[in-house]
Amino acid sequence: MLNPEPAGQAEVPAQEPGRRLLQRRFTARLLPQLRLLVEECAAREGLCEPRRGEFVLAVDEIAGNAVEHAGGSGRLVLRRVGDELECRITDAGPGFSEAVIPELLPGLDGAPKGRGLWLARLVADRFAVSEGTGASGAAGAVVTVAVRLR
Amino acid sequence: MPARDAGGGLLIPVQHLRPGDHAFVSYGNDEVRWEVVTAFVRLGLARGEKVLVLPCPGVPEEEVLARIDFPSRSTVPARERGQLVLTSMRELILPDTEFTAARQLGRLRAATDRATAEGFAGLRAFIDMGWVSALGADVGVMERRETGADELFAGRPYTEICAYDRRRFDRSVVAAMERAHPRAVLERLGSLRSARGPGAALCFIGEADAANQAAFVRSLEIELARTAAARRLTVDLTRLHFLSVGCAVALLTLARGAAGHDLVEVRCDGGQRRMLRRLGADAVPRLTPTEVVRPC
Repeated sequence: MLNPEPAGQAEVPAQEPGRRLLQRRFTARLLPQLRLLVEECAAREGLCEPRRGEFVLAVDEIAGNAVEHAGGSGRLVLRRVGDELECRITDAGPGFSEAVIPELLPGLDGAPKGRGLWLARLVADRFAVSEGTGASGAAGAVVTVAVRLR
Repeated sequence: MPARDAGGGLLIPVQHLRPGDHAFVSYGNDEVRWEVVTAFVRLGLARGEKVLVLPCPGVPEEEVLARIDFPSRSTVPARERGQLVLTSMRELILPDTEFTAARQLGRLRAATDRATAEGFAGLRAFIDMGWVSALGADVGVMERRETGADELFAGRPYTEICAYDRRRFDRSVVAAMERAHPRAVLERLGSLRSARGPGAALCFIGEADAANQAAFVRSLEIELARTAAARRLTVDLTRLHFLSVGCAVALLTLARGAAGHDLVEVRCDGGQRRMLRRLGADAVPRLTPTEVVRPC
């Protein structure tokens, strides 16, 4: 059903903050399973509805953005950091800055793009976009979204 | 296109199952068969329930564990503390060897009581019905069991999925068993179905994600055309487990453009209503989000 990617606390680099809950590579085909795994981890960590659903939505929108604009795949790492659930999504695309996300919601007759990331940032307690490591030549992007558990 | 579902009242996504639900699922190949069981098991563990898995006899335990135990060995702690148990119908009815419905229901009732006494939130069981032929049981007996099991579920913290392999059972048997269950769950994760609901509402069931957006839009367009004369359309989102921003915006945009309609009522849960409002529902005068309690 899924392509397991080894993950586990024993493999977490010493400098990485928090406790790693999940690590997955994904493509468009694997997004439903990715949502299931994120929902499962969020429930286990005590994130209640409706915030759990909002968190899964934010993660899906960011992952879907990576699939659509950054070569069809990405990598997700979910961690418990203090009282937060933090998801970091990395891609190997051309990269982008937070400035491309509209400040205000585009009207329904406006440009069709940007609403997913706009809503992801709206529902997050912490949200950031940074440049990736660019290991494969392209800059890539790292999008971090976090919600408080309490 | 999402498939039409004539008897849509029963069908829900597996993520919507709650204690007291008794659900049917069928599968037709050896990859798809694991999707529902994996979701059912993992969400049950996360909710603090004890989980019994009764796989099809003949499927090696190693394969079952490999399928549900991703990523890595993440369900090992649950097995070690007795929260996740792989068993069989033969084992469940021990020390008896002959299946009777009363015997099985009694064992499951006792197992539910034991689970709550052990501190779990409840019990859920995934039962692949391949055991019926393995134990030489009669399909008619099973049908009576499925329709007469209310006491096992009503008001009790017990959830069950009965899975039928369409390659093992006649089509008529599978159809009869589906009718015998109060619920049916979608066969695949990430799938979207549509059905005609109460009051001729267009009901979406499953996950309205980016992959299903074209089908979601097409269904809405067809329903808007079909209801043009009545000038009123009701869309029910309460059996969606996931609604993407793209699908939500498509709904708002189509409603905004439906100049011939006086009303597009959207039945939704609280989270969906908040999402629609955040995305601009208030700017669509003919659209009315109505918050309803999810019917499951």
